[in-house]
Amino acid sequence: MPIKDTIVALSTPPGRSGIGIIRLSGQLSLDIARALIQKPSFVPEPQHVYLTTIRDPATGDIVDRGLITYFKAPHSFTGEDVIELSCHGSPVLLRNVLDVVLSLNARLAEPGEFTLRALSHGRLNLSQAEAIRDLINARTKAAALQAQRQLGGELSRQLQPLKNILVEVIVPLESALEFVEDDLPEVLIDQILSKLSMLGTRIAQLGDTFKSGRLLRDGLKVVLVGKPNVGKSSVFNELLVQDRAIVTEVAGTTRDSLSEAISLNGIPILLTDTAGLRTSEDLIENLGVGRTRTAIADADLIVYLIDRSRPITADDLAVFEEVRANPNIIALNKSDLPPFPQSMDAPTSEQTIAVVNISAKLGTGLDDLRAAIIQPFMSQDARVDGLLVTDARHFDLLKRTGDSLRTSEQLLVERVSEELVLVGLYDALRYLGEITGETTPDDVLSEIFATFCIGK
Amino acid sequence: MSFDEIFDVIVIGGGHAGCEAASASARLGSQTALVTLNLDLIGQMSCNPAIGGIAKGHLVREIDALGGIMGRIIDRTGIQFRLLNRSRGPAVQSPRAQADRALYRTEMRGTLEATPNLHLRQGLVVDLIVDDGRIHGVELQDSRRLAAQAVIIATGTFLNGMIHTGPRTYSAGRAGEPASIELAESLKRHGFPVGRLKTGTPPRLDGRTIHWDAFQPQFADEVPVPFSFATDRIEQPQITCYLGYTTETVHDTIRANIHQSPLYSGKIKGIGPRYCPSIEDKVVKFADKTRHQLFLEPEGHSTNEVYLNGFSTSLPADLQQDLVNQIPGLEDARIIRPGYAIEYDYVDPRELTPYLETVRVKGLFHAGQINGTTGYEEAGCQGIIAGINASSSVQGRRGLHLKREESYIGVLIDDLIKQGVDEPYRIFTSRAEFRLALRYDNADARLSPYGRELGLVGDVDWERFHQRRDRRAVLKAALKTTRFKRADVQYTAISQAVGAELGDAITLEQLANRPEVQPALIRQLLSAELQRETGISDLESVLADSLYSGYLRSQQTTFDRLHNHDNLRVPHDFEFRDINGLSHEMIERLERACPKTFGQARRVPGLTPSALSNLLVQLTAQQRSL
Repeated sequence: MPIKDTIVALSTPPGRSGIGIIRLSGQLSLDIARALIQKPSFVPEPQHVYLTTIRDPATGDIVDRGLITYFKAPHSFTGEDVIELSCHGSPVLLRNVLDVVLSLNARLAEPGEFTLRALSHGRLNLSQAEAIRDLINARTKAAALQAQRQLGGELSRQLQPLKNILVEVIVPLESALEFVEDDLPEVLIDQILSKLSMLGTRIAQLGDTFKSGRLLRDGLKVVLVGKPNVGKSSVFNELLVQDRAIVTEVAGTTRDSLSEAISLNGIPILLTDTAGLRTSEDLIENLGVGRTRTAIADADLIVYLIDRSRPITADDLAVFEEVRANPNIIALNKSDLPPFPQSMDAPTSEQTIAVVNISAKLGTGLDDLRAAIIQPFMSQDARVDGLLVTDARHFDLLKRTGDSLRTSEQLLVERVSEELVLVGLYDALRYLGEITGETTPDDVLSEIFATFCIGK
Repeated sequence: MSFDEIFDVIVIGGGHAGCEAASASARLGSQTALVTLNLDLIGQMSCNPAIGGIAKGHLVREIDALGGIMGRIIDRTGIQFRLLNRSRGPAVQSPRAQADRALYRTEMRGTLEATPNLHLRQGLVVDLIVDDGRIHGVELQDSRRLAAQAVIIATGTFLNGMIHTGPRTYSAGRAGEPASIELAESLKRHGFPVGRLKTGTPPRLDGRTIHWDAFQPQFADEVPVPFSFATDRIEQPQITCYLGYTTETVHDTIRANIHQSPLYSGKIKGIGPRYCPSIEDKVVKFADKTRHQLFLEPEGHSTNEVYLNGFSTSLPADLQQDLVNQIPGLEDARIIRPGYAIEYDYVDPRELTPYLETVRVKGLFHAGQINGTTGYEEAGCQGIIAGINASSSVQGRRGLHLKREESYIGVLIDDLIKQGVDEPYRIFTSRAEFRLALRYDNADARLSPYGRELGLVGDVDWERFHQRRDRRAVLKAALKTTRFKRADVQYTAISQAVGAELGDAITLEQLANRPEVQPALIRQLLSAELQRETGISDLESVLADSLYSGYLRSQQTTFDRLHNHDNLRVPHDFEFRDINGLSHEMIERLERACPKTFGQARRVPGLTPSALSNLLVQLTAQQRSL
């Protein structure tokens, strides 16, 4: 076992909090813990929590009282000896504890270094490491759950049996090529074809979850647009349930685009309030208009607002022209006021998903709006409880796997020589291997030798 | 230091690795000694009397393309030639030939004796003379000391060889020959990590006692495909082999006596090859198989000895005789030599550079079974590479390092030095990422230019190489430019022959790429002049290029995508020892190789995948912070 330095870092976010956790990893972890509590003979039971007094060994001063948990290598996150100190969450106090630990020959960890150590000790595969990144960045509970699933190796686990079937398909074809003089059973093409088509279906199903999975991870960009003073900011605030934008009666108050993250049914939504679109002579407002156009271009969904208590104007229609090509929801605001009859015929386009009546003032109709926002994404989300592919790289690999399998299936139907059929099958195996870990030619050969009695 | 004789290069061992090594080294101009235990057994085929087979035949072609000798010798001594996988694509076809065992030896020895600068010496090497991390020569059992700046060890199964037949165990390198024990000790003393492997061989029968009509004949190809690009015609009369089967009775007897097999009594610790199992293994591991295939392979024109292929065993000799007599057709057969298992030492090949030189002792090269491989072809190809590089190092010239993408030899050496072995290593086509590109018929195009540059490919062969290349170029052009339109006289005939609608016009190339079209049909459609001046094998080569070109391009794209970090630069002041989580061994390997890019690092021998992903994370992190 190579000698490596011991690293330490604050594992909870900086700033004031209830508790702060300081984590150490490396060979010195336990020795440092013993020095901190000044008990050289301290032999903690792994994964047990001990209430202790933490002191600075140089002065003997008490730094904090906290909990110590010991994780013995290799049964820890990093695969090394790990100590976790749960201290009180004062930034100054935590800084003191860190300083003391650093004085005991630990070193401050680089960003991601704990994960890196876990990777290099084989405690994690690449896909799990990516899941940790997602878990840390997860914005909603559902996204965190997905990341948690992947961390558990769920994607790998679901792909593993598929990969095994792929190897089962490869084995007879490869054997037929390599062991011509052996007494092998006849290759059953129909059986192989049915396995291939089953594989293709499963891979495609997994790939299809990416649309929802991506939303869970990246969130849905929803942009509120409308001419000035139709109540965009009020709606924005209602959806946020938080007074973020300044709402006044003066048209054009919101000169900038404001964005906030919210969560609707577990789907993270990046909600953007925009400056009202109109031809304005106000320079600052014009800048805001430019940003609005950018926001529209980036949007997954537009909420187009009009004031249904007033006549529809040329401005309203001009704004709609900007967004008609995007998926959109028409929100008829101010439904607490008597409707202006003509406004009931608000403009719609082929991309219009729903028309809803709302009142930002009374807070009515907002649930309908929320439902309309997530509706298109929920429809194919019956599987939201299952595994979703959340990573674009994984999606890309699954798609390529599917393409390769299809090519091979076609060649097999045409009864083309095995070495050509196998090109796509090995490609598929490599793509899946990028997610689950490599399957080497040796693994395939092992399977051949386990399946068939080879050898003249 | 005093020496009895001084050479440039010494090769220890006269098997298939040793012969290629000595021949290449001497022909490259180095004074080369081949030291072997018994001069009469140079080029001995210890196991089955055959060369080639899928992937193995490719290796022989590659040896030949580089200017080696194995292909020429099997062409002169082969008594049954067959091109395997004829019904499949050209990339997985490969020649195989039964050899006249004695004739092969004679030809090999004659070839070596006729080689200038090559000196045969009989003797047993007992020690390596190493000083200051460099090889200086070897010491023989009879106290002679031979000097050389480079030494190639190619000792096969002789290193600490131990033969097992039933309860009997004795030290031997092959049946009837002493093992090399002191040399094995010498290697251990110099710190080489040594492991143990096992292989086995079946009994040989007296052909006069076999009821041949109980077996199915297996004939040689009518038109034999030679191994060497230099061979025009196979002259040896071709023989027939015979195919038969074991029975349940045989299996029952084996099961009843399994405790007598050293494989199952726990006496044999070495790991044997899974693709070449003993009959005991076949019966135990595949208990549901009611019969196992056997091949009766005559060992030559002038002997009665018959090799019972498929019946490798280490059961006691008397039991072997009983078992043989239970096989239909062998009721009266007598065993001439019993089968046996042999355990031997190998040295971890991760100790080697791609030039097959050991990192531990400068000037020392390992080739063949000492590196954990099995097979004459695997041994031969390492032999020629070690021979080229030993000679080059003595002469201060650049050596030869073949890549995976260009040769099976490159695949084999790269696998050995990067992954090491945990069972005797055999080549398979599936080990090559680009097997569609590595065909037996294009080995010359891939490797002969290297052989020529080194000086191993002579003028006559080089001229033939050029002629072949020119013929292929002319054919390739003709395939692209010859078009048949609906109005042409031949169009209807072609369409009928193919049995399909071919569109308004079709080129010969397009026609050839249809799976149902055979090269013979394309040949008929060539001009009379081309038919006269080119051969069917030229045409087949060109057609294979065209068949695979699309696949190779898309395969290349796949690889590029998967290896898209390969161009990531390693900064010149990058400190590998600063990477956390890298073991000392990994750091040493990286510092020694000093890769400039991640792609180069990926090919550094012995790096583990986790070390690589570690390095990749560090490099990308650095890039981001720039």
